[in-house]
Parts: sequence; structure tokens; C-alpha cells
Amino acid sequence: MLTLAATAALLFASTARADEEAAETCLRTKIWEGYTSGWQVRSQTNATFGSGEHRVYLVTLYAGNEYKFLACGDDNSANLDLVLYDAAGNVLATDNSNDREPSLTYTPTVTDTFYLAVHGSRLNDAAKKAGVSTAVSYK
Amino acid sequence: MRTLSLLLAAALVGCGGDSTTVAEAPPKEAPAPDATAPAAPPPTLAVADLQAQAENIALVPSPAEMQKALEKAGVAGGLSKLVSAREFKMDVENKDVVAVRTGVVLADALLTVKDAETGVLVARLEKVKAGMVALGAGTDIAATLDELVNAVKNETKSRDELLKDLDDLHGAILPEIKYEAGERVVPLLQAGSWLEGSNLVANAILTSGKIEAGNSLLRQPQVAGYFLKYVQVEGADKAPSEVVKQLEATLKKLQEIAAKPNLSTEDTTEIKAQTDAVLGLL
Repeated sequence: MLTLAATAALLFASTARADEEAAETCLRTKIWEGYTSGWQVRSQTNATFGSGEHRVYLVTLYAGNEYKFLACGDDNSANLDLVLYDAAGNVLATDNSNDREPSLTYTPTVTDTFYLAVHGSRLNDAAKKAGVSTAVSYK
Repeated sequence: MRTLSLLLAAALVGCGGDSTTVAEAPPKEAPAPDATAPAAPPPTLAVADLQAQAENIALVPSPAEMQKALEKAGVAGGLSKLVSAREFKMDVENKDVVAVRTGVVLADALLTVKDAETGVLVARLEKVKAGMVALGAGTDIAATLDELVNAVKNETKSRDELLKDLDDLHGAILPEIKYEAGERVVPLLQAGSWLEGSNLVANAILTSGKIEAGNSLLRQPQVAGYFLKYVQVEGADKAPSEVVKQLEATLKKLQEIAAKPNLSTEDTTEIKAQTDAVLGLL
């Protein structure tokens, strides 16, 4: 009985776990493809999102460089959104896509710190979490 | 045991009923996302929330990114020609010092990967590996560096491909070593890379005479503040090493200079002198 219960618990945990690895694989493919167009990567990070949750990343951007922010969600992600804010909290750019692979490009005119918000706007199954991988690239 | 069995049985029922019921039920399909439907925009976050919630994982620019910004600012020459040979020891007791040294060498490898001589690049990569091993960063990263060294020696990858791999190492793999080497190691490694990059940028600006470029390339008070937070933690419970003391003084000075509306020749000279002071102690 104990073995059965343990197995069931493991299966339950497994199906409930967000798939950060799938999100990361998707994003790394995009990063690799970006090199052919001159993009290089500064950072890549993974996180787990609940429905409607968001993460905020502080980023330093150089005037003159062009930046692309990319995210990939796992199969449970239906719509992810990216929003870039300046240091005062003004919205500078928002991705308008309704999918789980949003991207956003921005060329700052001043070197400063900015906030990138990643929103898990809609999940296929709101009761489960979603794995999301986010990257900052530049050229 | 019987009580435990009953509890576990009850837990199983609570998790979705008995196995027969689950097997016979039609698979529950998640609602299909409608990619064509207009999506509601995400909520706008207040600046106080942004400040409170912000994570620093993507805060620090990479040395290669500094080089790119330098080129865009019209400062000729680039950084790779300014990188000097270093003889760092990685088998020292103070892990903070090892982390900063490793970050410096990783920056040098990144900045020179396209044009360094094979032996020089191999030596830098092997030094990065020695640093990572000393920091307890795990076997995966050591194996990755071994692969890179072999690729350089045997010329099985182009320098452009190696740049991608080093970018990946710096931007994606390095932050993961916190799980093996500890949370503090990553910002100290980044601090080493950032200080080396800032030192080379200040040097390039002074050499070119384009002092105004310092305003867009050398003013990053948030980055200095982020590193200071980690450096100052050590001082709370033990006497810091000379390197860490100088690092703290340098970061405070860089933060102070970065707060100025415009950087003068004297400011850029001071940035170079301050970063030289840390790098000289390594």
C-alpha cells in the first residue's frame, strides 16, 4: 500500500510540475538562431509561473545597442506577455502577441536600468504551473 | 501501519478518486488557446512594485556587450587589444578572490575569443576551469570547458562558434553554478567580469579621447550597488581580505562617480585607477 501511495504521489507531483526544461530548449533554439542575425545573449533564466503571475527583471541597457527580449513557455503556457518599463515605471514597449513565445525589441537612447516584466497571462490549465524561460539578447 | 494505510488511501481518493474511475473517465482536455483572439493586455505594474519585485539575474551587462556598445559609441580599437596577460592563482583559500579572478579571466576569454592565439585562449579557458573547480562549480561546467579547450586546440570549431559557446557559458550556464558553488559566487564572478570590462572601456575611452562616451558606457550605479550588497555581507562576520576591501572601496567610488550628470576626463581616469587597484591586487 505504501509503495502504491508513493508511486501515485510521485505521478501526481510529476504531472503538476512545470516543464522548465521544455521552455529552456525552445528558448535556446531561438537564441542559437539569433546568432545568424548578429544577436548575442547576455543572460537566460528559467522560472515557474502560476496563472496570472509575473516576474520582474532589472536590466541595464546601453544606449546604441539594440536589445531583444525573448521568452518561451512550456506546453501549459497559452499566452505569455512581455512589458518593458523605464526606471520611473513608464511603459516603453509591450509585446502584442497572443502566444507562448513572445519577443520584444528596444533600442534605448540612454544607458540606464529598465524593468522587464514577464507575465504568465493565460495558462491552458490554470490549476497547474508553467515553465518559462526568458533571455536578454543584444546586437 | 494500519492507520498509515488508511491515511494514504484517503489521500489517494482526495487526489482524484480510485484508479478504476480515473482509467475509465475520458481524458480531460484543456481548453484550446485561441491564438487569433485578441488578448487582454497584461496589467501595468506600479513602479513601487517593480522596485520591490525586481530580480537581478539579468542586470549585469556582459563584457562582449560592453565591447559592442563601445563600437556603437565610435570608440575605435575595441577592447581585445587592451587585454593584458594575467597570472592568477586559483588554488587559494579565499573563495571570494577565486570568484573575482575567474570572472576577470572569463571576461578576457570572451573579449579575445575571435583573435587570440590558440595557446593564449587555451590558457585562459584552462584558468577559468581551474577557478570553477576551485569554487566547487560541479563537473558539468568543467566538462564543458574541457570540450571548449579541445575545440580550440584541434580547431574543430570556428571562432564564431566558440564565441557563441562562451556567451552561453557566461550568460546561461554560469548563473546555474549557484546550486553547487553557492549563491554568493555568481555575483562575485560577474563583478570580476564587469570590473575588467569597465577597466578596459575606461582605458579605451581615455586612449581615444572621446570622453563623452563615458556617459553612456560607464555610468551604472545600480550594477555597482548590486555587487556592493554581496561584498558587504562578508564584512559583517569576518575580516575581509585586501581584495574584498579594495573591491568595496572601488564599487563605492564607481557608484559615486556614476551619480554625476556628466563624466569628465578626471572621472574616467578615476574609474580606470579604481578598477586598476582591484585588478592589481588579484
